[in-house]
Amino acid sequence: MVDPNTDNAASSLDAWEERITRALPVLGPVVVVVAAFAAAYVVDIGASLLVLAGGVLLAVIGTLWASVRTLVGEAPTSLDVALALAAPTAAEEQKRAVLQALKDLEHERSLGKLDDADYTELKTRYRSQAKRLLQELDRDLEPRRAVAEAWVARALAGGSASAAARRAPRASGDGGKRPACGGCGTHNEPDARFCKGCGAKMGGPRADA
Amino acid sequence: MWTSLPVFGELVLFGVMISAAYTLAVSIVAGQGRPRWLEAARLGAYGTIAMVGLAILVLGYAFVTHDFRIRYVAHYSDRSMTPTYLLTALWGGQDGSLLWWLFLLSIYTGACVRWMHGRFRELQPWVIATLMTIMLFFCVLMAFAANPFATSVAGARLDGEGLNPLLQNFYMIIHPPALYTGFVGCAIPFAFAIAALITGRLDDEWLAACRNWMLFAWLFLSIGNALGMLWAYEELGWGGYWGWDPVENAACLPWFTASAYVHSLMVQERRGMLKVWNVVLVCLTFVLTIFGTFLTRSGLIASVHSFAQSGIGTYFLRFLALLIAAIVGLIVWRLPKLRSEGRIESIWSRDAAFLVNNWALLGIATFILVATVFPRISEWLLSQPSTVGPTFYNAWLPPVGLAVFALMGLGTVLGWRKTSVQAMRRALVLPTVAGTSLALAHIVFGARLGMPAIYAKERIYDGAIGVVLQRIDSVLPLIASFFVAFNTVVITQEFSIGVRARMRTHGEGIASALASLVGRARHRYGGYVVHLGVVVMFVGFTGWAFNVDKETSLKPGESFRVDRYTLTYLGPRMEVDQSKRMIFADVSVVDDAGHQVGRATPAKFIYKRMPDAPTTEVSMIHSLRDDVYVVVGNVSAESKVATFQVHINPLVSWIWVGVMMLIFGAVIAMWPETALAEAGASGWLRSAGAVTSVVVFGFMLAVAPARAFAQSTSSMHAGTVQIDDPKERELFVQLLCECGDCARLPLATCTCGEADQARAEVRAKMRDGVSVDAIKADYVQRYGSGALAVPPNKGGLRAIYLVPALAALFGAGIVVFVVRKWKRKNDEGDGPPPAGGGGADVWDAKLDEELKALDG
Repeated sequence: MVDPNTDNAASSLDAWEERITRALPVLGPVVVVVAAFAAAYVVDIGASLLVLAGGVLLAVIGTLWASVRTLVGEAPTSLDVALALAAPTAAEEQKRAVLQALKDLEHERSLGKLDDADYTELKTRYRSQAKRLLQELDRDLEPRRAVAEAWVARALAGGSASAAARRAPRASGDGGKRPACGGCGTHNEPDARFCKGCGAKMGGPRADA
Repeated sequence: MWTSLPVFGELVLFGVMISAAYTLAVSIVAGQGRPRWLEAARLGAYGTIAMVGLAILVLGYAFVTHDFRIRYVAHYSDRSMTPTYLLTALWGGQDGSLLWWLFLLSIYTGACVRWMHGRFRELQPWVIATLMTIMLFFCVLMAFAANPFATSVAGARLDGEGLNPLLQNFYMIIHPPALYTGFVGCAIPFAFAIAALITGRLDDEWLAACRNWMLFAWLFLSIGNALGMLWAYEELGWGGYWGWDPVENAACLPWFTASAYVHSLMVQERRGMLKVWNVVLVCLTFVLTIFGTFLTRSGLIASVHSFAQSGIGTYFLRFLALLIAAIVGLIVWRLPKLRSEGRIESIWSRDAAFLVNNWALLGIATFILVATVFPRISEWLLSQPSTVGPTFYNAWLPPVGLAVFALMGLGTVLGWRKTSVQAMRRALVLPTVAGTSLALAHIVFGARLGMPAIYAKERIYDGAIGVVLQRIDSVLPLIASFFVAFNTVVITQEFSIGVRARMRTHGEGIASALASLVGRARHRYGGYVVHLGVVVMFVGFTGWAFNVDKETSLKPGESFRVDRYTLTYLGPRMEVDQSKRMIFADVSVVDDAGHQVGRATPAKFIYKRMPDAPTTEVSMIHSLRDDVYVVVGNVSAESKVATFQVHINPLVSWIWVGVMMLIFGAVIAMWPETALAEAGASGWLRSAGAVTSVVVFGFMLAVAPARAFAQSTSSMHAGTVQIDDPKERELFVQLLCECGDCARLPLATCTCGEADQARAEVRAKMRDGVSVDAIKADYVQRYGSGALAVPPNKGGLRAIYLVPALAALFGAGIVVFVVRKWKRKNDEGDGPPPAGGGGADVWDAKLDEELKALDG
């Protein structure tokens, strides 16, 4: 990744490295396999195996080298590596199971395996359970939302070199300021077109338009 | 030629070891929540995998260039072998097959690591760590005990010994890799289970993650076992497809536990129950695959499959002990998190039925496991050698298998959670009617078709148990035909109800309703197709009861009648190619109606390399009703008289058709939910694997009749034995041939010279009026108690059926206890909770939205 704070020579080197690391896993095997076929055709199957082995040996060296470099922090980290996916919480999974159960219930009834009395009773139970979970999840999310917003605000204000910050569209000058919605008063992102609280259209042209 | 190729290969092996150890260390650190280290671990895993590939390539190069300095190459190949068979030699022997195991594991690891990219942040490091530990074990094993690159002490030879001709055939090219693919595939779900235990994330995440991996492994276990059956049937020449060989047993054990898991994971997914049980099943499946590998390699129990006895058994035992200790420790540690939130609404529900299904499948597995290792156990604990032959299994297992088969249909009738009495009655009417009609038809017409509903089964024990077992076994065809019809109708009914419901609610036509029904619930309807395949296979298994075996010798032009066929010997014919002389004995087959059914061409191949040991080539004429299976014993050069063994095996083709349906159903169940491009590596892997497997299997079936000519195979125990007297048969199935060469075949099927002699002696004694018991006692006195195919029903040896029976009873007790506990929890449980507060409407709307999103 290009870091705007370092000098140009280093950044172009990094850019090259990224290009190479992207191209090699695709091009390398193709070249080796073609060469192996050529060797089998021109010489014999033994030579072709040798070519393949050579290619694989290069792959071994390449990946292990990349691994060690990542470990000592020399290799640049790509965005999708940096973006750790938040795994679902236990409550979310429970919610999914209950939703699935509700769906099954419908299916089971449509197949005639469940009579109406049982269906109503089970459905009431699962629905109330699901609702409880939904509420719980929402409650859990509230504090985290605030933390995330604080992070984003800090990143936008500080101009930090993190990948996420750079991917975000430039907020021309007023990085830290977040416009409030005219309808409900919720603070929104600088480039928001609609309010995330009430869904109303945000007033005026966008800052970066 | 490199002078140091073997050294290089060995270096690569050590390289794999170091790299796997490095990746293991890095991934454990990554498990403490460091994304950078995780990335390093992923790269390290790729590097390790590539290195294993390098090792395989080096060994392949050594084979291709005939580097006979390497002991393994010299032992399993020679200069005359074609490149394809040289490839087979990679897994033909012990050391190479271990490397092959490692190679497959690394392919799986590569696919899995690629697939995990960007998800399972917490589980991922531990999955990689577990897989690396397994790799490390195999590396250590090879480096210190079974090194495929070890050089011969005597230096390079001029030519190698060549691959065992028994292994030089089409099935040996694909049967072990298919089975290994299934075996090794169980490592991925295991890695997920361990990762879930370590991180404590024991909810549905890991289940969802490894469901398709397990299905994939299960599919290949099925294919591998089916190919093994085909191989035995087509190549070994004893007329059957499953001989209850220890290695066959070991290969089917993980299949049972994997099947149990595929069912019980649905219970956890939907109900949050059986959490501990699912972890146990996944781990058990993996442990059984390692156990199977151990059994094949340690020579613990005599088997036709065994590799030469070697010292690696102790390594496997230690690894197994370590594995089990680690698993038990982790489970006990995490027990509080594994508490189920389970609650069962009704005993008449699919939830409860799955419990019973698991109990039954595990019961069969336990039974087979105990019987397989029984010879060793009886020797250690009771100091009484014993052998468990096919006769034992054939008497005990069909009833148990049929019970599971019956459960399969009954469980399907039930719905999740609760089934109303009327609904159940409605669902049971048609299947019961169908089952009863087929059973009646079987009684009326069966005997006329040569398939009586009740047949004479030999008794394996004296006394009450023997009589009961014999009674049950002899009515099995009738019960089987009832449940075949019952299950078929149950499954058809499921489809038709679903299709009709969709046609009603969505106004679709039949075809599109069926397509969208299956498309929306692939696991369920794919599973039903698998069940249908099992039904068809059971039809085939039932045919076993009606086999007819005959032996005769004929002059050219003479005819011979077996069952409903007349066989006419046309005369011998000789063909010669570079490596062998082939003597065919052509037989024309005509059925009772006078139709020409076909021409069978059984043969003897005499290889130049082994002129003294001609090989026997089976010839078969397949049809849906029966297979005509012809083997030629020997052909006299002067008189042209040939001896033939003819088996009429009814319904065998149904098994292969059933297997194809099973594969098709598994493919439907595994078909990725999202578009292929989005599903990523695993989607492609699954689809590609599924398509190839179907194509390969279909291709093999298609070329099956032609192979009789194309094959260059040998059969160690070709031919059969003519036994017309039922009393004789009852005795012969219980005595094992003691030539020491043909592993564990009973006198009733073994055709070696020694068996001939033993049979003649026994027959002479019977003519003299010696009682059956006296003959048996005499035989035991001569050869030891290990010479009986069925361990005698006395003293400690009763453990062979008492232990599994007690285990099954214990299991049943647990099932009842668990169900009652859940039921009680439900009855006193939180009933319908208060229907929300004031905000109910908002949340109702949100809930409906989420439900809609789930549908989309």
